[in-house]
Amino acid sequence: MVAKPDDKQADLLQGTLDLLILKAVSLGPLHGYGVLLRIQQISGEELVIQQGSLYPALYRLEHQGAIASEWGDSENNRRAKYYRLTTAGRKRLEAETEKWNRMAGIIAGILRTTPESL
Amino acid sequence: MKGQSWLSRRSAELRSWLRAITQRRRVEREMAAELEFHLEAVTADLIHAGKSPEEAARQARIALGTAMTHKEGMRASMGLRWVDEARADLRYAARMLRKSPGFTAIAAVSLALAIGANTAIFSLAKVLLYDRLQIPRADELKLLRWTGDDKVVAHSMWGDFDNSPGGGQTSSVFPFPVYREMSLHPSGMRSLAGFKEDGMNATVRGTARRVAVAEVTGNYYETLEVRPQIGRAIQPSDDVVSGSGNVVVISDALWSREFGRSPDAIGQTITLNQAKLTIVGVNPPRFTGAKNVLQSPDMFVPISLEPLLSLHRDKGSDLANADFWWVNIVGRVKPGVEESKAQQGLRVQLEAAVRSLCTVKDGDTIPVLQLVEGSRGLRWADRLFRKPLYVLLAMTGLVLLLACANIANLLLARGAQRQREMSVRMALGAGRARVARQLLTESLLLAVLGGCGGLLLGYLCRNALPGLLTNPWENFSIQVSFDWSVFACTTAIILSTGVLFGLAPAWFAAKTEVSSSLKESAQTTTRRRRGASGKALVGLQVALSTLLVVGAGLFIRTLTALSSQDVGFNTDHLVLFDVNPPDARYPAGKDVALHEELEKRMAALPGVQYATLSGTAYIADSMSNSDFLPEGEKFDKSKRTAEDFNVVGNNFFSTLQIRIIGGRGFTSQDTATSPKVAVINEALAKKRFPGVNPIGKMFRADRDKNDLIRIVGICADTYYYTLREGPPAQFFLPYVQQKEVHGMTYQLRTSLSTAALAPMLRNTVQGIDRDLPVTDLRTQREQINASLQIERALAALTSGFGVLALALACVGIYGIMAYSVAQRMNEIGIRLALGAQPAQVRRMVLRESTWLTLAGIAVGVGGALACTRLVRSMLYGVGPNDPVTIMAGMAVLVAVALLATWIPARRAAAVQPMQALRHE
Repeated sequence: MVAKPDDKQADLLQGTLDLLILKAVSLGPLHGYGVLLRIQQISGEELVIQQGSLYPALYRLEHQGAIASEWGDSENNRRAKYYRLTTAGRKRLEAETEKWNRMAGIIAGILRTTPESL
Repeated sequence: MKGQSWLSRRSAELRSWLRAITQRRRVEREMAAELEFHLEAVTADLIHAGKSPEEAARQARIALGTAMTHKEGMRASMGLRWVDEARADLRYAARMLRKSPGFTAIAAVSLALAIGANTAIFSLAKVLLYDRLQIPRADELKLLRWTGDDKVVAHSMWGDFDNSPGGGQTSSVFPFPVYREMSLHPSGMRSLAGFKEDGMNATVRGTARRVAVAEVTGNYYETLEVRPQIGRAIQPSDDVVSGSGNVVVISDALWSREFGRSPDAIGQTITLNQAKLTIVGVNPPRFTGAKNVLQSPDMFVPISLEPLLSLHRDKGSDLANADFWWVNIVGRVKPGVEESKAQQGLRVQLEAAVRSLCTVKDGDTIPVLQLVEGSRGLRWADRLFRKPLYVLLAMTGLVLLLACANIANLLLARGAQRQREMSVRMALGAGRARVARQLLTESLLLAVLGGCGGLLLGYLCRNALPGLLTNPWENFSIQVSFDWSVFACTTAIILSTGVLFGLAPAWFAAKTEVSSSLKESAQTTTRRRRGASGKALVGLQVALSTLLVVGAGLFIRTLTALSSQDVGFNTDHLVLFDVNPPDARYPAGKDVALHEELEKRMAALPGVQYATLSGTAYIADSMSNSDFLPEGEKFDKSKRTAEDFNVVGNNFFSTLQIRIIGGRGFTSQDTATSPKVAVINEALAKKRFPGVNPIGKMFRADRDKNDLIRIVGICADTYYYTLREGPPAQFFLPYVQQKEVHGMTYQLRTSLSTAALAPMLRNTVQGIDRDLPVTDLRTQREQINASLQIERALAALTSGFGVLALALACVGIYGIMAYSVAQRMNEIGIRLALGAQPAQVRRMVLRESTWLTLAGIAVGVGGALACTRLVRSMLYGVGPNDPVTIMAGMAVLVAVALLATWIPARRAAAVQPMQALRHE
């Protein structure tokens, strides 16, 4: 099921697409369309990926060695290109996750600030 | 370590990129398949959700967007984008160059010539002036030299000798006993090795030939740290007592020539100056001995064999003679010892050794020792070739500059023509960098074309150039290997010129407003600027050409002056060759008898009109001199009493056709037992017997002996050792009246060629002695040409450069004038329409180019006047500011300029007014 972007759905923050792809693929090998579906699924349909930007991002990550690809059979027996996380990609995912969480914590802390707590 | 490491990421990128480049078609196929699958999967999902198949397919395509754009993004992700762009640029550049074949050919050929000439000359200069000996750590090797004043104790010497700049003399030969004494415990040095190179007669596998031999001390190989490629080196044990080791190590070249690189060579016997020696080793291929870096002696033998190889019966061995200076010494400084300390120590040792071993008379001074750079041997090539090579290097540098100016001019002109194209491209949204990159690709492609041509030319010249510096009969060859670093350097210079001037139009294009340069009227502004810089470049080309043409003219005039010199004897149909009987087999007296026999047999050969011989060949850069003390004159140390002389055959004067002016020449009545006689030349008569008739006068030719020689005749003057110095005073003695003469040069007056004579001569000589070779067979003309080798090479190369320069200047002038005419088409049309005659228009164009040329010539002549002074010492019969040469050079340039302008001028005169007014 393809969702169309509308106001209810959150825009993807700049630079987070790579992180999301790495996370999606870390849960098990996926083809390109599968990556799209999984991100939408685990975000509870809140996030929508521009289909156009997905493939350049996949190629970029593969080019950098964070994911690797292999041709295999899809659920309905079509040849599809499956991506999986490499060791280098796993390290990168861990590092980026940690960075993201720290940043999110800092931002959240700042946003929680009230005049009294100063 | 956190995250993906930088290295793993880069290496993954490289792998992925290489894969994408090499398997491009597969990558493209997979990209298409992947997007195809995506569309199908989305469509299937939409159908599943209840859409009709057509509607589902449509929506899926809309959701994905344009596949082309995605693919472009995917390619960019893999780093393929710039590759694609470069490929497109290259294709476009190739198409542009193909479209203007004239421009491409001129640019590429001028680049090729400049790169080729530079590579060849610089490679040659590198070998002749900078290459080091092929031994481990050559830079550590030191050569021992000494300097002394004019009363230095070394009276009797065999080796290099120079007047040192501060007066006095300098040399690098030492007496062998002094060497032995110093080498026992050399101060501050690890060891001192002695060596001497000499020519000897060898019989290898049955053929007698002249070979170069190095006599070396037992520690020579150890000191140089060289190991033979097969067999063993000469060891200290070979050198213990005189004649202890009858062994020889042969050069790699001799090994391949005579033994076909067979290991069986080891253990074979060769005859060297009648001594039988066993081959024990073969030197490594690039080892040339310690004396020079260009060519190796054929054989290396222990110096202890010296008495066996050259026995002067009356003098005793040179190894024992402490007053004969002849051995060269090299060594390495001990690690940790300062060079100045070592030199100081050796100085003291030399002084002590000379005082204890040599005969030091009253007033004799002790030479002062110096340690000098030994990594280039005795550096004789430096002395011979340094100046000519500097001239050639300077000239090739100018040619390079000219070629750069040419390419700059051509590219600028093209850039101006394409101004509109650039503006259109930018107007259509091309980035400045993108346009620049495309121009760059074109320049680079052009440079690569020129580079390939240059590579080919440089490779061919590499073999041709050394041929200009060596003569055909001595088998001495200068090996110049193709030098990649030189080629790379030259190419880099040319490339950067190409890049610089290729980009200039892009720079101008970027500066002009797109809209303004698209309008016709605005073009003139940029054109005027480009016209000025183009004219300056052409002026520079003319100036450089003037300089080169004047330089070439001076060297050509020097060569003609030298080779048209009347040497005083008839040089036509005169064949020379050498016979060097080894001292061991032909001691004093026997050698004279041998030459007498040979002279007789030579004269009897069919086709030979006259045969004679002399101790020294003429115009061969060698000479003999001896005391000349007329009877009654006392030997005076402070006065120079030596005169040039030669020992000659009895029919020397008739064979060489030297006129006898007074008295008589030698006859068959002058024999070993008849009274001693001499002939002197006019110059000597004038110099030593002014106002007196010298015929009948007596003189002594040796200060220590009282034998008086009677002057019986006066002959005409002849040149002697070189063409550069006029006829010196000379006297002649019959060789039959000498005690010993060693090797002699034979002169045959014959109409036969050397090739026809060679077997006859060989048979005649070897009919007397099987081991005696005939060497250096050449004609007297060839001998004179050989002495002019450097002058000839200089004249040939500089005139080559001159022609090249003229061609480049011609192209430059043509280009700028053709452009100027094209640009002024309108104006010319108006002039013609208003009644100007075609001849007037032609004159106008010619005048413009003449002014440009004259300005260039003026600058060039100014430069030439400043530069030619530097080569004054290399000129002969012509001054550095020779007006004839300069005028001729100017005339040639004006002629070339007129020639180059003729076509554009004619084109301008032929313009139809209507057509021209419609133009643009």
